[in-house]
Amino acid sequence: MTITVNGKSLELEKPINLNELLVVAKADQPEYVTVERNGEFVDHKGFVSTFVADGDTIEFLYFMGGGAA
Amino acid sequence: MSSLTNEQLERYSRHIILKQVGGKGQEKLLNGKVLVIGTGGLGSPAAMYLAAAGVGTIGLVDYDVVDLSNLQRQIIHKTSSVGKNKVDSGRATIEALNPDVKVHTYQELVRADNILDIIRDQDYDFLIDATDNFPAKFLINDACVMAKKPFSHAGIIRFQGQTMTYVPGQGPCYRCVFPEMPPKDAVPTCREAGIIGVMGGVIGTLQATEAIKYILGIGDLLTGYLLTYDALTMQFRKIKIPRNPNCPVCGDHPTVTKLVDYEQPACDLRKKG
Amino acid sequence: MADGMKTDANVDITDVVCPMTFVKVKVALEDLNDGQVLGVHLNDGEPIQNVPRSLKDEGHKVLSVRKAADDTYDLIVQKNGLAQ
Repeated sequence: MTITVNGKSLELEKPINLNELLVVAKADQPEYVTVERNGEFVDHKGFVSTFVADGDTIEFLYFMGGGAA
Repeated sequence: MSSLTNEQLERYSRHIILKQVGGKGQEKLLNGKVLVIGTGGLGSPAAMYLAAAGVGTIGLVDYDVVDLSNLQRQIIHKTSSVGKNKVDSGRATIEALNPDVKVHTYQELVRADNILDIIRDQDYDFLIDATDNFPAKFLINDACVMAKKPFSHAGIIRFQGQTMTYVPGQGPCYRCVFPEMPPKDAVPTCREAGIIGVMGGVIGTLQATEAIKYILGIGDLLTGYLLTYDALTMQFRKIKIPRNPNCPVCGDHPTVTKLVDYEQPACDLRKKG
Repeated sequence: MADGMKTDANVDITDVVCPMTFVKVKVALEDLNDGQVLGVHLNDGEPIQNVPRSLKDEGHKVLSVRKAADDTYDLIVQKNGLAQ
């Protein structure tokens, strides 16, 4: 199956949950990243029970502070 | 009858020629009021471009003084302003650039007990979050949602930056996307991780662009979108973000109903994996 | 002005150069309603070459152009006249 993560294609052999996807896709800050699946936010509590499906679009949204100092 | 002087017609001629601006649009900008919170990497270019555009009232908020390490990117300041208050240095640059602009300075940190007073001081039309820390970012978001003020959020680090725009009733707020504060050491600061100087210029100018478009009432704002930029790959991505009905601030059942000074929780020393 | 056609307002742009010429005309037109008519007094050269075209690009209708004895021009333009 093929999904899109942050605009890039990712091939997967079988459906995995979002916790596993964070590892496979090498997400930064996996404890604090905001995950959007097909346009909807998924709460961290739901990662373990949310499995990706063929054609899913996943976005990892990261905290960025930076700015002044 | 146009209120623009001959000098203003000339100064803003490149705006006035634009179909979406005209003399009437320029008058809107001259009557516009934008508050820039933070006169650093993001705030510097944002404030300068707002001033160049003729936004008539600009507020600058910063408690800090100019430091030599700022000058690699905080282009509103100069070598001769090292040691001076950032808001005074910023005001001097703006006044030299455009005498049409009235600058109001607030030499303080934004806190729960002063931010609404600052916003109301000139009844600013639009706010720019140009701060560098999450307690301030969360506070600014909450204040804007509660005071029903539009604002531009942004963050930058290393070679990356991102920005989104909140307009009351028109899409998500910052905390729809990031509901809870990250622990203190979870996210690096520019001091720790570094920042390519130009990043503030790109993202800060985008923030000024949103303010200008809002005042003019033109174009599509980044409401409901997070715009991300990677300077190494030169890639911009515009990611659609929904309003979160469970958002603690702007959701259907908000749990945050008054302003608080956020403390960043200390990092738990938990094992990874 | 010298045309016999009544104008709702007039602007003299012989004292400025491009693009201020178009800027002044544009700002003068903003004070009129659609369909109202502006008289413009302009110089030969860049102004007469550029201003009528810029006005047309913005949807205004140039109703007439007359050359005066001193090589200036008088132009009459209708605000948003092309939007019929």
